[in-house]
Formats: sequence, C-alpha cells, structure tokens
Amino acid sequence: MSIFEYNGSAVVAMVGKNCFAIASDRRLGVQLQTVATDFQRVFKIHDKLYIGLSGLATDAQTLYQRLVFRHKLYQLREERDMKPQTFASLVSALLYEKRFGPYFCQPVIAGLGEDNEPFICTMDCIGAKELAKDFVVSGTASESLYGACESMYKPNMEPEELFETISQALQSSVDRDCLSGWGGFVLLVTPTEVKECVIKGRMD
Amino acid sequence: MSRRYDSRTTIFSPEGRLYQVEYAMEAIGNAGSALGVLAADGVVLVGEKKVTSKLLQTSRSAEKMYKIDSHLACAVAGIMSDANILLNTARLHAQRYALSYQEPIPVEQLVQSLCDTKQGYTQFGGLRPFGVSFLFAGWDKHHGFQLYMSDPSGNYSGWKAAAVGANSQAAQSMLKQDYRDGMTREEAVALALKVLSKTMDSTSLTAEKLELAEVFLQPGTGEVQYQVCSPEAMGKLLAKAGLSQPAPEA
Repeated sequence: MSIFEYNGSAVVAMVGKNCFAIASDRRLGVQLQTVATDFQRVFKIHDKLYIGLSGLATDAQTLYQRLVFRHKLYQLREERDMKPQTFASLVSALLYEKRFGPYFCQPVIAGLGEDNEPFICTMDCIGAKELAKDFVVSGTASESLYGACESMYKPNMEPEELFETISQALQSSVDRDCLSGWGGFVLLVTPTEVKECVIKGRMD
Repeated sequence: MSRRYDSRTTIFSPEGRLYQVEYAMEAIGNAGSALGVLAADGVVLVGEKKVTSKLLQTSRSAEKMYKIDSHLACAVAGIMSDANILLNTARLHAQRYALSYQEPIPVEQLVQSLCDTKQGYTQFGGLRPFGVSFLFAGWDKHHGFQLYMSDPSGNYSGWKAAAVGANSQAAQSMLKQDYRDGMTREEAVALALKVLSKTMDSTSLTAEKLELAEVFLQPGTGEVQYQVCSPEAMGKLLAKAGLSQPAPEA
C-alpha cells in the first residue's frame, strides 16, 4: 500500500462565478482503522486563500506550518497578502526542495486573486503544478471525485449552487472509498464572505 | 595587513571605553527621534520623520514603525540600512520560534536575541557595530504589555516610557515628569505627542512629520493588534491635543 493512502483523504476544490469552494473529508485513519473523525485537511492562509493537503497527515501538518512561516514573512515584508498564483509557486518550490525525499502530500490550492478572480490548482508531491478552470481533486477518493465532479459541475455557478454541488460531489465520492469519509468540511469563499460548514454523511 | 587596523574597532581604549560603540550612539543622536509609552491597555510608539526634501517620494506608509510579528512591533532610530538587516533577522527569529513551538515568541526573548546579534559586532573584530536603537512594543501571555529599548552596544532594558534618537535626553526627562502609572492608551498618545512636540527641532507639528503606532488587545476577540495611525487620523489627534499649528495668516 502506498504511503499516500495510509491515513486516507479526499480533497476537492471548485470554481463558481466570482467565488470558489474547497472541501475535504474528516476521517483520519491508520489504514482501515479509523482514529479520528474531526481531522482538518483544509487550512487557511489568509482570508481569500486556502490550501487542502491530502496524503500523509503528519506531512500535511508540517507542510502547512512551513507554509504559514513563509507566508507570514512575505506578509511582513510586502505589507500585503500573497496572490494565489504566487502562493502556488511557493508551495511548488517548497515541495521540489524535497525532490528525493518528498512530503507525501498532494496539495489543492484555492483562492481569490486580484479583482476577485478565482484560482484553483493542484500539484503532485514534488510540486508539478496542474492548473484548472473548473475543479481539482486529490486524495484516496480522487478517482471517484473525478467522476462525480465531471457529471455534476457546471460553469459559472452562483455560491449557493456551488455549495450544494461540491457537497454532493464529495459525499457521493467518499461513499465509494473505504479510506475517506465520516462527514465533510466545506468552505465557500465569495469576495465578501466565507462560509464554513461541517456536513454529515454516512458516519461509518 | 589591513586587519591590524580593522580589528581595533572593537578594542577597549585605555580609559576602558569602546569608541566605535560610542560613535554609533552618536550617529543615532542625529536621527529622527522615537518615543514609546506603556499604557494600561496597550503600548504607544511615536516617531519623528525627518523630511529631508519635499521632492523625496515617501515610499511606504510607515518608515520608522515596523511590525515584527502579530504581537510585536518596533520603532527605529538610526541608520535605516543597518536597521533593515536587524529587522529581517528579528522577523525570521520570531517566525522560527512560532514554527518550532506553535506559539508567538515572548517579547523579551525576541529582544534578547536581537541584542545578542548587536553585541556580537562590538566584540568580534573587523566590522562596525549597528548604528541603530530600537523601541520594542509588544504583548505576551507572560508579562502582558511591554516596552523595551535597545542600543548599539546590545544593552536592552524594559521601560514604562522611553525615548531614542535626537533630543532623547530632554524627552526622557519630560516623560519622567509627566508619566503616571495606569494611563489609558488615549492618555499615552496625548503624552507622547506633547513630549515630541516640545523636543522636536521644527516649530510646527504636522501629520506628515509624525508616525504613530499602537499595540493593543482587540476588545471582542482579545487578539493582539498592531495599528498604524493614518495621516488623517493623525491630523485629528494633533488638533485635539491642540498641537497643530494654525495655517500662517497672509
């Protein structure tokens, strides 16, 4: 079994009209045994920028701490927040630093950039960026997430509809995956507000 | 062979003084002054900007006040290029601590680490000391609000009210006279502005020449906040304190 599948995870981000949503499951397991059901995989970088880290939980936490470190120094020096594109490059560079002993994480980055233009992207564990206009997925449930998102996603969704879509996509995908699930955490970000939600699903 | 002369920079004089360090302090005496006042509910920092030419573009909103971390800020007096190096190390140190321990660095620990750096340049040969004095304002869970002053020798000390830069002696003695324990932040701002208005060289006090920064706890959340006063708000404060010069009549 791959180390990426040790804890189990599902992370997805979607773009709507001037908004985006990022969601993850809440399970932390050790292979097939569930250890925690309130695990956070989506982290805040600033008000309009979030990162979801699928893969090995310990690496996800360490990587997040290093990203906060770098972002804080950037904030102090530049006196502004980082643009999502810049942040994606930072994550990529940080991952490639460990090219031959990588963090076992697959990040999903979602943010609102200049003029509140939504930005989403994912990358592999050594920082090869993959940009998308519609949705990005990662984690043990990524294959079923691709399917669910392909069939449910529509361009230019309003925030309410986007929230429903991403929740449904996440929920139906984790039901097809033994290693992720136990409810979900959904974050909806519009230029004016952030909506955080814990959703229930099959809690078993 | 030049090392023979360079290394003299950090050697005691026969009277037991370190000339280079004293010269560094002299350099600060010519810089725009800064003063800090500790209040019951926050710390106030006020700085005087030296406007060298009206053609000079002001690059940043604040050129004397720097945020080091969310709970910690400082005012600078002295050579800015030296200060930038130290500020960078300070910020890095604060973030390294946060990364290691997942909590903000205690104020005194940060001040101490920075002063260790400064001290190094008064002992190891070949380089000159940093020509910078700092006023640190911060809050931590151990000692609440704190105000520290540091000088080029690497000495630091905690104060209730302190001044660095030009005319700091006069400012210090005025602060000593007018400081009361348990002042509010508002009173501290008024005191700082009053003292600075009297010790500054220029006759008229204008919003463009001053910088004001405050560290306090946000009423609702209890989070530490660092706030730099905008020029408009500064103008209002000056008017309220009766310090702003009325426009000269034609």
